[in-house]
This record gives sequence, C-alpha cells and structure tokens, in this order.
Amino acid sequence: MKKLLLLLVTNLALFASMQIDTTYSTLGAIAKKVGGDFVKVTVLGSNKYDPHFIVPKPSLLAKLRRADLLIINGGGLEIGWLPPLLRNAHNPKINEGSLGFLDASQSLELIDKPTTVSRAFGDVHAEGNPHYITDPYTVPIIAEAIASRLAQIDPIHKFAYKQNLQNFKKEWSSFLTQFDAKMAQCSTKEVVQYHELFNYFLKRYNIENIGTIEPLPGIAPSSKHTLELIMLIKQNKVKKILQDVYHERKTAQFIAAKTGAKVVVIPHDLGAVGGKTLEDFYNNIASKICK
Amino acid sequence: MPKKIALGVLCAISLSANNTALEKRVELLEKKLQELQIQNTQAKYQTRSSSFSQNAYLPDIALILNMSSIARNIDNTQYENFAIPGFITTGSAQLPFNKNRGFNLNYAELALHSVVDPYFEAFAMLHIHPDHTAIGEGYVKTTSLPYGLGIKAGKFKSSFGRINAKHQHAWNFDEQPIIYKALFGPGSIGDMGISTQWVAPTDTYVMVGVELLQGSNKRSFGNTQKNNLTVAYLKTSLDITQNLSTLTGISFARGKNLFGGDTDIYNVELTMQQQFNSYSSLTWQSEALYRKRQNIATDAKQAGFYTQLVYKYNKNYATGIRYDGIVKNSVDDLQKYTVMAQYHPFPMSRLRLSYSYDKTKVIDGSRKNIHTVMLTLNIAAGAHGAHDY
Ligand SMILES: [Zn+2]
Repeated sequence: MKKLLLLLVTNLALFASMQIDTTYSTLGAIAKKVGGDFVKVTVLGSNKYDPHFIVPKPSLLAKLRRADLLIINGGGLEIGWLPPLLRNAHNPKINEGSLGFLDASQSLELIDKPTTVSRAFGDVHAEGNPHYITDPYTVPIIAEAIASRLAQIDPIHKFAYKQNLQNFKKEWSSFLTQFDAKMAQCSTKEVVQYHELFNYFLKRYNIENIGTIEPLPGIAPSSKHTLELIMLIKQNKVKKILQDVYHERKTAQFIAAKTGAKVVVIPHDLGAVGGKTLEDFYNNIASKICK
Repeated sequence: MPKKIALGVLCAISLSANNTALEKRVELLEKKLQELQIQNTQAKYQTRSSSFSQNAYLPDIALILNMSSIARNIDNTQYENFAIPGFITTGSAQLPFNKNRGFNLNYAELALHSVVDPYFEAFAMLHIHPDHTAIGEGYVKTTSLPYGLGIKAGKFKSSFGRINAKHQHAWNFDEQPIIYKALFGPGSIGDMGISTQWVAPTDTYVMVGVELLQGSNKRSFGNTQKNNLTVAYLKTSLDITQNLSTLTGISFARGKNLFGGDTDIYNVELTMQQQFNSYSSLTWQSEALYRKRQNIATDAKQAGFYTQLVYKYNKNYATGIRYDGIVKNSVDDLQKYTVMAQYHPFPMSRLRLSYSYDKTKVIDGSRKNIHTVMLTLNIAAGAHGAHDY
C-alpha cells in the first residue's frame, strides 16, 4: 500500500505541469518552447490590445492566483495594469523578488533611455524603450533566462529544460541566418511609426525611424504635429508608415494620402496580425516593412 | 558592419576557390557572428533594483488635486442644511466635496505606497481639506501569506459593495450615490480594523473576505464601545466573451447602532463591461442596498439602489448617465438623475462636466428639486496609479 502511494506521488510529481503566466503572447511562445510538455502557459494580455493598457479583468486574478512562474516584459510596460492584479491575487510565489517572478527585460539592455524624465514630455518610458521583443535576437536570451529559472523552480525536469533550450537555440540560430539574409535584401531604409514600438527591429537592421505619428508618447496625434510629420516624410522620401493593430488608423491613412507612403499594419506581439509561431511573427514584420 | 566586410572577403575567396571546405568555414563563421551578435544584445546585465517601483527606496507618491465650479438653483446656506427624509436630518449632512455655488477646492490628497519588507507593504492616503487634515487610509497588508490569503490592518475603506472601497476621484460621477450618502455619509465605510481576504484556487475568480471593524460610522452603526462591526462579502467574475467581463458580489454588514440594537445591511452588485478596443468600452454598474435597524420605530427597513452606464469613446472622451432611487422608506419617491461628459487631455488629468436633477432633498421644511451644473478638475501627479477594474 505504502509503495503504491509512493508510486502515485512520484508519478504525480513527474507529470505535474508548471503553470506559467506571461503578460504577452511572444513571451508565452518562448516559454512554451523552453518548458515543452512540462509547462502550461497562459497569456494574460490580449495581443489585439495596447500592451500599455491591458484591461485588468478580475478573471486575470484567478490566473495569477495559481501561477508557479510569472514572466513579465518589464521596462515599465506593465506598470499601468499589472501591479494591482499582482497585489490582489495573493500568490506569494510570483511576487516581485520571488523565484516565480521573472522580468525578461533584466537580461537585456534597453535602448532610448531618456536623460530627463518628466510627464511634460508625455507618458515616457522612464527606464528606456520596453518594446524589445520586435528584435529576433532577444528571443534566445529570453529563452535562456526562462530555462535557468525553470530549472530552479522545477529541478526534477532541469535536464529536459536544458535540452529544450539547446534544441530551440539551434533552431533559432538557423532561423536567424535565413532571416538576416532576407533582411539584407530589404530596400526600405526609412520609416515612420505610430508609437516607438519597432525601434529594436529597426536598429538591428539599420532602418531609420524618421518620426512618430503620436506627438509625444501616449498623446493622441495633433494636426500641427501631423503636418510636420508629412513634411519630414516628403523630405526623407519615406515609403512606409508602420501602423499597429490597436491605434486608430485614420491619421496614418491621411498621411499616406498626402505623401504617397504606404500604411502597413505590423504585429507588435505574436498573433496580433495572424500567424501562430515565433517565426511567423518576425517574418510578418519583415515582409510588411520590406515589401 | 564588420559582418558585411567579413562576408565580402569570404565571398571573394569562395568564388575563386569554390570548394566545399571553404563553404563550411563560411557557415561556421556566420554562426560565430550570430553568437557574437546575441552576446552583444545581452551586453551588460543591468541591475535595476525593481521592476515596478519608480523611486528606488522612497515610497511611490502621488498628489491628487480635486476642484470644482458649480451653478445651482439653491443658495449655499440653504443647500448646507438639506435633509433627506428618513435618512439625513436638517443640518447633519456632511458635505466635504462640491458644497458651494461658485468655486470649491475639494481636497489635495497624498497617496503613499511602499513595500516595507518581504512580508508587508504599506499604504497611506493623507486627505487634506481646506479646513482639516485626515488620514483617509493608513494600513499594512501582507504579501507573502500562503493559500491565497491576504490580511490588512489599520484604517481602510471596506471592500463592502462595489464603490465603497474606491476613492472619490476614482468614481465615474463626482457625487456619491444617494443610497451610499444616506446610509453611510461621504466617507462610506472607512474604519479601523482587520480584513482577511481569500482568493480561491479555481479557474473562475472567487474571493471571500471578512472584516472586523470598529463601527465608527454613525449613520448606520456608531456604537464603538468595542469593535462592533463585521463585514463579509463574496465576489466572483465571469468572462462571457473575451471582451465582455462581469463582476458580481454580495456583501453583508452587521454592527451596533446608537440605539443599542443591531443594524444589518445587505448589498448586491453587478458590473458588466464590454470592451470595443483598447480605449473604448461600455460599462454598466449597479448596486442595491437594504438596511434593517433594531430599536427604531419608523424607517426600520429601508432600501435604495443606483444604476449607471458609462461609455468610454476613446482615450480622451467618456460620457455616462446614472439613476439613483430610494425604493423602501417612509418617503419613497426619491430619485436623482445625473449625466456627465468628461475629457482627459492626458491620463493624469480629467475635466468633467455634469448635470444632475435631484428630487431627494428637503430644504427649509419642504421638498425642493435641485438642479446642479458642475465642472470638476482632477489632477493625479507623480507615481502612476495603475488602472483598476
Ligand atoms: Zn511604449
């Protein structure tokens, strides 16, 4: 009887899966790659919505309550919606500072860190631009951070996580080779965007960001700023206006009509504009910007 | 750039030699370059102290300013002495906000939050009125209890009902629902005590809470010879679709009133929110309250409700309507209608224009309908208050 019970308990331990919550979908896909069959991944924020303003539905509390690991983007991206949810979920495993709390931005260096921070400049990201996920080179770094954290939380499966990580890194490295080759053919050299969502991608592939449709971060477009942007687009012969899925599209269409530049709707997160895999996500960004 | 040069050189070599060994080497070098690029990205590991706090070890501080300009068909001295039949007698209404025709500085509030240590966090809301200062809230809350438990102790706004725990500047309308004003006064249930909440480990959000409070709210309780008020509630949330969420709750409060008997108050709440996009939504929120008091001859049983609809058009504009009604009372034809439109030039500031038609007041001994047009300005500066549901 005792043996049977022991068998049952060890079996349960072997098949028990770690519950991982991620704030956004690309992080969720990376976590799934690393965790494989031993994890269940729940994405909290819908990829159709503005990542700065995810609606803090009470149902998210139930998801946080049972998480073993919470992976956030960090860099202040979640500050407008996650802290009260985290506080009210009453799950000490995923409190900031606990083993079950992983801020993916801590493994990366953020760019565009402002030297002076004041709300007079809009709703700026004080810690630098947090939208690093558009750079495909950040993927293996995040995967590594997740793998080492999973190994700490769930040491029984640490070799599986290590193996998953190695396989994924190999896979990703060959993807990057193809991807870089494709980007080397990219003729687009200048773009404008709505919010500075794609700076990391643009920087990686030497594409210049000429300006943003929003006059200041988080502030709706003004006619004065739009006219200035139209001038800039004409001067620099910009061909592409990068539009995300969640902002209004009228301003971009107006600018397009005045300048002849083309509006392309780009995913800011996996699945925002179709596509199921990490590869789809980056290929989609590349083809929209370059074509 | 070095990648391009390296590739160029290697291409030239491979063209002239064109053998497989060299191609292999190209591949290897490309791999190496890629790894270097990844390492580059990894760069320096920054040691930021915290992901959420905005000042390393100082508490997060926010300053909230609330002011208004009002036009009303009643003199200020008459308005101050209004009564609500069955609930508020002449002269006993407390009016901390939006009292005067003309201009009002309602308050300045300092909201402080800090993580104390790995086990506690502390909140304080210092409420500064033009003529007095008060600790609106001041409490510590556990952060590390197991089994989904959370305990707070100090002075806090009770989680009884839906609007009770929310601060005035977080309301969708500037004036308190009549039933809340009638049963609790402007501070609602905000009291000294201990609260324990438990979140169930279920797929559906279920939260139950019990609060032991002093019972210092004189309108419904008021006997504070010992801690005489107990509040309990259950709340649950269902997402009907990805974009349609609901929050339902039932609450109960039992305390000792000033007449030596018990006061029982029941509350049911329902909120439904349809999200159209990141910035646009339609929210329907309603609460009904029922009060039963012992040792009181008339109006021992009273009830009222409010129901409101708020439409957020985009980041900047929103509009809403509210209906307030008293349904059980010696005088039960008491209603109030409110409409509002608000403009957020920026998330931190809000201008709100509202009109209300109030048929709940008695002034100078007779019922008097009150028309109010109000323009309020609310500013929240400093640390980001995250958006609540
Ligand atoms: Zn941003």
